[in-house]
Amino acid sequence: MGDFKLTSVEEFEAATNRLLETGKKVGADGWQYRVANQTPHCKFGETGICCRICSMGPCRITPKAPRGICGCDAHGIVARNYLRFTAGGAATHSDHGRSICHTLYCTAPDGNYKVKDPEKLIRIAKEWGVETEGKDIYDLAHEVAYLGLSEYGKVFGNQNFLKRAPEHTQELWQREGIAPRAIDREVSCSMHMTHMGCSSKAEALIRQSLRAGLSDGWGGSMAGTEFSDVLFGTPKPIDTEANLGVMNADNVNIVVHGHDPALSEMICEYADSPEMIAYAKEMGAKGITISGVCCTSNEVAMRRGIPMAGNFLQQENVILTGACEAIVVDVQCIFPALGPLAKCFHTKFVTTSEIAQMPESDYIRFEPENAGENAKAIVKLAIENFKNRKPELVHIPDMKQKATVGYSFEAIVKTLDTVTNSQVDETGTTKPLIDCVKSGVIRGAVAMVGCNNPKIRPDTAHIELMKKLIANDIIIVASGCAAQAAAKAGLMDKAAKDLCGAGLKRVCELADIPPVLHMGSCVDISRMMILVAELAKDSGWKISELPVVGCAPEWMSEKAVSIGNYVVATGIDTFLGVDPYISGSDQVYKLLTEGVREWVEAAYTIETDIDKLVDRMIDRIEEKRDALGI
Amino acid sequence: MTLLDLIFNGNDTVYERVEKAVSEAVEKYGTDKAVAFPDTAYSLPSYYAMTGNKVANLGDLKEAMGVVKSMMTRNKRLHDGFQSGWATLLCAEFYEALKYIDGAKPYEAPYTGHLSDAYVREQGVPLVTGDIPGVAVIIGPAPTAEQGAALVKSYQGQGMLVAMIGGVIDQCVEQGVKTGPNVRILPLGQDILSVAHVISVAVRAALIFGNITPGDAKGLNEYTFKRVFAFVNAFAPLDNVTLACGAGAIAMGFPAITNDYPYRVPKSLIVQPDVDKWNATSLEARDIKIKITKIDIPVAFASAFEGEIIRRGDMQIEFDGSRVDCFELVQTKEASEVEDHKIEIIGPDIADFPVGSKQSIGYIVEVAGKSMQPDFEPVIERKFHSYLNCVEGMMHTGQRDMIRIRVSKDTFNAGFGLKHLGEVLYARVKSEFAAVVDKCQVKIYTDPEQCTKLRHEVAIPLFDKRDERLLTLTDEGVDVYYSCIMCQAFSPSHVCVVTPERLGLCGAVSWLDAKATNELDPQGPCQVITKERPIDERIGEYEDVNEAVRKFSQGALDDVSLYSIIEKPMTSCGCFECICGIEPLSNGVCIANREYAGMTPIGMTFPELASMTGGGVQTPGFMGHGKHFISSKKFMKAEGGVGRIVWMPKDLKEQVKDRLNATAKELYGIDNFCDMIGDETVAEDPETLLAFLEEKGHPALTMEPMM
Repeated sequence: MGDFKLTSVEEFEAATNRLLETGKKVGADGWQYRVANQTPHCKFGETGICCRICSMGPCRITPKAPRGICGCDAHGIVARNYLRFTAGGAATHSDHGRSICHTLYCTAPDGNYKVKDPEKLIRIAKEWGVETEGKDIYDLAHEVAYLGLSEYGKVFGNQNFLKRAPEHTQELWQREGIAPRAIDREVSCSMHMTHMGCSSKAEALIRQSLRAGLSDGWGGSMAGTEFSDVLFGTPKPIDTEANLGVMNADNVNIVVHGHDPALSEMICEYADSPEMIAYAKEMGAKGITISGVCCTSNEVAMRRGIPMAGNFLQQENVILTGACEAIVVDVQCIFPALGPLAKCFHTKFVTTSEIAQMPESDYIRFEPENAGENAKAIVKLAIENFKNRKPELVHIPDMKQKATVGYSFEAIVKTLDTVTNSQVDETGTTKPLIDCVKSGVIRGAVAMVGCNNPKIRPDTAHIELMKKLIANDIIIVASGCAAQAAAKAGLMDKAAKDLCGAGLKRVCELADIPPVLHMGSCVDISRMMILVAELAKDSGWKISELPVVGCAPEWMSEKAVSIGNYVVATGIDTFLGVDPYISGSDQVYKLLTEGVREWVEAAYTIETDIDKLVDRMIDRIEEKRDALGI
Repeated sequence: MTLLDLIFNGNDTVYERVEKAVSEAVEKYGTDKAVAFPDTAYSLPSYYAMTGNKVANLGDLKEAMGVVKSMMTRNKRLHDGFQSGWATLLCAEFYEALKYIDGAKPYEAPYTGHLSDAYVREQGVPLVTGDIPGVAVIIGPAPTAEQGAALVKSYQGQGMLVAMIGGVIDQCVEQGVKTGPNVRILPLGQDILSVAHVISVAVRAALIFGNITPGDAKGLNEYTFKRVFAFVNAFAPLDNVTLACGAGAIAMGFPAITNDYPYRVPKSLIVQPDVDKWNATSLEARDIKIKITKIDIPVAFASAFEGEIIRRGDMQIEFDGSRVDCFELVQTKEASEVEDHKIEIIGPDIADFPVGSKQSIGYIVEVAGKSMQPDFEPVIERKFHSYLNCVEGMMHTGQRDMIRIRVSKDTFNAGFGLKHLGEVLYARVKSEFAAVVDKCQVKIYTDPEQCTKLRHEVAIPLFDKRDERLLTLTDEGVDVYYSCIMCQAFSPSHVCVVTPERLGLCGAVSWLDAKATNELDPQGPCQVITKERPIDERIGEYEDVNEAVRKFSQGALDDVSLYSIIEKPMTSCGCFECICGIEPLSNGVCIANREYAGMTPIGMTFPELASMTGGGVQTPGFMGHGKHFISSKKFMKAEGGVGRIVWMPKDLKEQVKDRLNATAKELYGIDNFCDMIGDETVAEDPETLLAFLEEKGHPALTMEPMM
């Protein structure tokens, strides 16, 4: 404990700069250079007032030209763009969820994919009214998977998972007409509404943005999370390490990148086999190191303790180490730059999904039927590539931190059980956490999520916000690249308790947890929805009354906007550090930051000054406490 | 008001009261007047420990009040609550100190007030060693005098130190509870501020035994949090002053239990409306486990009775699993499902059965614990045999659902009933497995129908599940092995490396046992050995294992293999169940077990073999091992495996037959392999044995030469 020290952003940057030196030697490009080339950004695009939905334009709104050719004003254009952005995110997360459902459908006792958490499957089956008694677990898996897939195109009714929300929340969704129907329908409906000559009323477009978001968070993402748990096991606390130093110069390094655990789980499985390890030794390496980038890393870290090489803006760095034999990707957040970059080194860039096909990559298409044999082929490809490494280019920054990850909702409840007193308390609830909040030992919680974005000095916002929040006795649940930023800095090391206020520190000591809890990948923000739903049910408070806020200080993807919409629509105030291209319309801005509060009891706060952002969150939490009289 | 506001309010109240008292004292005596508690070198102990400053006179005290005031910050954070709690406790100390001016004796019997350094030292040692398991601080009157006295006595009965403040003292006096330092019950005073005297004991313990530097407030709180097992029991209504003192106690790591309060904090501020459960609630809140040393049964309990045989004519009753449905079982439960020390008899007791009859019995020991793992269940269960045999006049054989228990007439006549069987299991499990078992209850079934039902529906499926788990445990499938040096007392350089497929040579320590032992006592005889750096997988040699062996043998051994008896074989202590040794003529090995008295084809008896194999030295070609290892796929793996076994005593062969046949079938496709192995009825010399082996076509004959 004595030698615990956070790694600073300055140290991250020094390591990156050293890697860019290597890049220069081989003529590699980097996002740092591309950002410079792209700056300044187009003002019309940035403020959301450029419309290229039909071919009469593109139209751009200026004081002299306040309407597009069709007559749509800035508010309609901004809102339409916002809804399309959301639909893109909802489609992406949900399609990931669909692919997981499909994988579940393909499970077999002797197949590539098996049911690792039958209890969770039975729980979901019962929740969905599926008869479980006396049924073979695989028959049940197929039946539930089929139902899961049906959620995407169900003819009538709303998403099944909505029933997990507190009744008050469900009532709000019904009242406001934003309870999501079939997932695909909400995406289609969004595209339809934004087509030329459909909706131009900001309020209607924003309302659909919330509904499309909810179809993601309480639909597709939740399916992705829940069925990933059934397939690969529900995460529980496990120790791992984070940052580039987890790569090992003596070993074959395989980096998994993307989002869908179906690929990465299989790669890990094979890389761990004695056969492959022996083969790696035969090829002159000491072993095989798998590490991860982005959310696929979160998935395998939570379930297997596989170390995290880095987050979104660090994806090029893993290749720049010169020690990466293969970077294997599935879907989402993968830079097309990786192909040309890999060519500068010996690295194999392997794409595996029909969804994410890129030039200059080895495309080995991954399906449940061939997953085993293809995973093996990929691992072998990497091993055989070890000999092509150029030793003079190898430099792995000696930088990593310990992290305890794996706090699924189930694991959090189990952890809370350890601080109950069996003489008085019931177990299996969130009540211990509520008691901590009521008494003020913990002031509240912040869900820190989202990506990196060159508009913010990478990871600074995540790390600085988290430091200040935990010092103020605010516990953090994190996912996605925010979680990895925390892990890289050391905030997921249990020793980070010493950076907390007295209250959170005591909680960390008694519950044996780090102050920042890793809840998973970006689809796993659905876990956070379940957590707040249960907190509301156990406390009797509305979700919107809980001293809990959401925050995405460095977000960049469409998925993040979809997430923001469902988090707000669930009743949680959400703080953004990057503007979602809406400043071109005061109406839309006002709707999102104030108006939607009338509908769903929560709204956005957009604050690009990071210091102010954290203070505004703390103030908001204290306001909510005052309102509750606690 | 919020909880913090309530604490702040209590703190303000106390500060005001003490500030007034200090001003009055200064007015009366002047600032030079000496202030001190009697018989302590630490003046004033709590303030000195927290700030590093001593208080000698009223002038210092006035200054100290300023320091305390500066601690009373009012931000809405627990830090401020803790600081205000401490500020309250310091004020209390000042207030009490004023009472001792001019050598006054403010407390008279039964009250103790301030406690001397000598007392702290005297109690400190047993506190540190755990002989005093904890300190209970009881504040205010219990709902009834009986409850107050009963609570105090319950703690006293567990060997704890009890400090009392306020109404509970009167209740104890009323109920005739003997109090005083000599019986570890300390009536401190009537005023809540007399709590300073017990805080002062904890603080001085930290200074004396914890070597905490005065002024190191963080170190002080950490020490008391981790090492002083105190807690507070405060009866409702909890006023703000008591709460503020409680905040100080919680800052020190001492949880408070009360019976009615609007706020609660896990493991810190616990509301338990049922005062009769305060003892159990408090112990759990502070993670105090009471060692059970005495077993409440009417006959003796000692290892001397372990070998006692009870003959048919002497027995009152027999429970016989070979004839009727019997079983013994340990099951892990949630803490909420287990009521500690509950013993239930479901069905008739011994007295209700005819003398000398054969009956069914099934007993389930349900355990709960934060560190409990289902893997430990069989480890605990295997101990039942020894526990029950230690009871005078009780005999236990077998395990699982093949148990037989006899109870003698004498023991029954001494008053022994099934409840006592439960007492024995409870007491032994709780004391021996304290690290993993927090709570334990015993259910004893004698109703034949229920025994049948539970045996088939609960016990057997669970045994099957465990066997399945054991089968899936392979050396390759686990990340770590364990060392075992339990027998270094008489074989100082011997180290067993215990793996899932190779249990300790004594036969008593499986990989799961070693894992549990490690969990129970991480510094104990079984330590984790990693297996990350293999050297030679054929013979099972690892750099990590060698390092561990070097360390644990104090350098006597350099390297060992796990799977070979020729190359760097594992050493033997002397307590091996079996020895195997090379029989050169047949190119195989003979195995002799400890029970076998005759000659082996090697030309040596078991004792002769033992004399050259034991003592913790490597003897290539000879190796001690457990019986279960014989059927392991890792047995002599480097030399070709179990196919090398050419001879075993008949008894031993019977014991390992099923599993060994299965292993041979799997490895070589041979059916009924044991029929090919010689025994004493076939041969006791190598030539006759060889002829037998040739006749049977034993696989060893065609294997590569061993030497």
